[in-house]
Amino acid sequence: MNRTVLAIGLFIIVAIVGMLFLALGKDPQAIESPLIGRVAPSFALREVGTGTTIGVEQFRGKPVVLNFWATWCGPCWEEHPVLVSSARRMGSQVQFVGVVFQDTEDKIQRFLNDRGSAYPTLVDDAGKTAIAYGVGGVPETFFLNASGTIVAKHSGPISSDLLQANLMKAMQQ
Amino acid sequence: MTRHPIVIVALLLVALTAAAQTPAPVPASPQVPDAAQFVGPPKGVPLTGDALRERTDQVAALLRCPVCQGLAVADSKAEMAVNMKHQVNELLARGYTEDQILGYFELSYGQFVLLRPKFEGVNRLVWLLPIVAMVLGVAVVVFKMRKLGRGPVAEPAAAPVETVEDPYLARVRDLVGEGKK
Repeated sequence: MNRTVLAIGLFIIVAIVGMLFLALGKDPQAIESPLIGRVAPSFALREVGTGTTIGVEQFRGKPVVLNFWATWCGPCWEEHPVLVSSARRMGSQVQFVGVVFQDTEDKIQRFLNDRGSAYPTLVDDAGKTAIAYGVGGVPETFFLNASGTIVAKHSGPISSDLLQANLMKAMQQ
Repeated sequence: MTRHPIVIVALLLVALTAAAQTPAPVPASPQVPDAAQFVGPPKGVPLTGDALRERTDQVAALLRCPVCQGLAVADSKAEMAVNMKHQVNELLARGYTEDQILGYFELSYGQFVLLRPKFEGVNRLVWLLPIVAMVLGVAVVVFKMRKLGRGPVAEPAAAPVETVEDPYLARVRDLVGEGKK
């Protein structure tokens, strides 16, 4: 009986350690978006500064980098220069769009004045656009191909290399 | 002059191509993504008043707050959770059913957003393993009880026969007067 108890105990321990080992190798924040491979949810939001309405569908025909961010988010400050410089460099081939939620327009405007802007920044007042895109925490960046299908999503601050790699996917598909 | 028709046709082709590439018209006022894009038109009855409030709490309790640690949307004060609860309320008021609302959030966030995992795929283990563990536990207890019940009845152990008098015990007996009997 002692051997049976030992065997059952060992089995349970091995199972728990195995599951922990497998799970510890994963980033709990990195959940693949179910929207990948689907047409991006359509929206039209107010642009900061101009007040004009800009819709994601009007950019069909070229890849879109859709970045959800907020001024209170530290990692968003970190990635902002990467996005601005990339938009300045690739602006003719790729459309960059920023969507800000849980924020105020004056803070956004001040942020853009201080840190530069190279593409439209839209305000998601009630956070409904962020919810439709399954945004959990900012920053999150979606990559849309020319036909408006979401081909990739990146959670967290994006580097220049990651931006290029995901844009390649958006341009190929 | 003979080239004119060709030029006109070419211009028409250019115009048609340009028209084909013209982006979709932009709505005059802001429009957020609508649940209908995901789950179609409402299939239920629009709710109002107390029924709406009660149902909102019930459905929000089934959704995980994506920015919290294991909290339901109904229980969280995070702005994201508050926005999600407002949206649940709005969808119920428009006549969306619980399944449609959960489906809408699942299409955006994946099954991660559902606090009650669906009975499908690997998720079945979450539902079945506790039941299997409980059945196994009961089986082990019953098995052990039966085994104990069937075993030979142990006879009460006979009092040990003192063959050699312990000097210390003899001294104690003397003191209590037992040794004088």
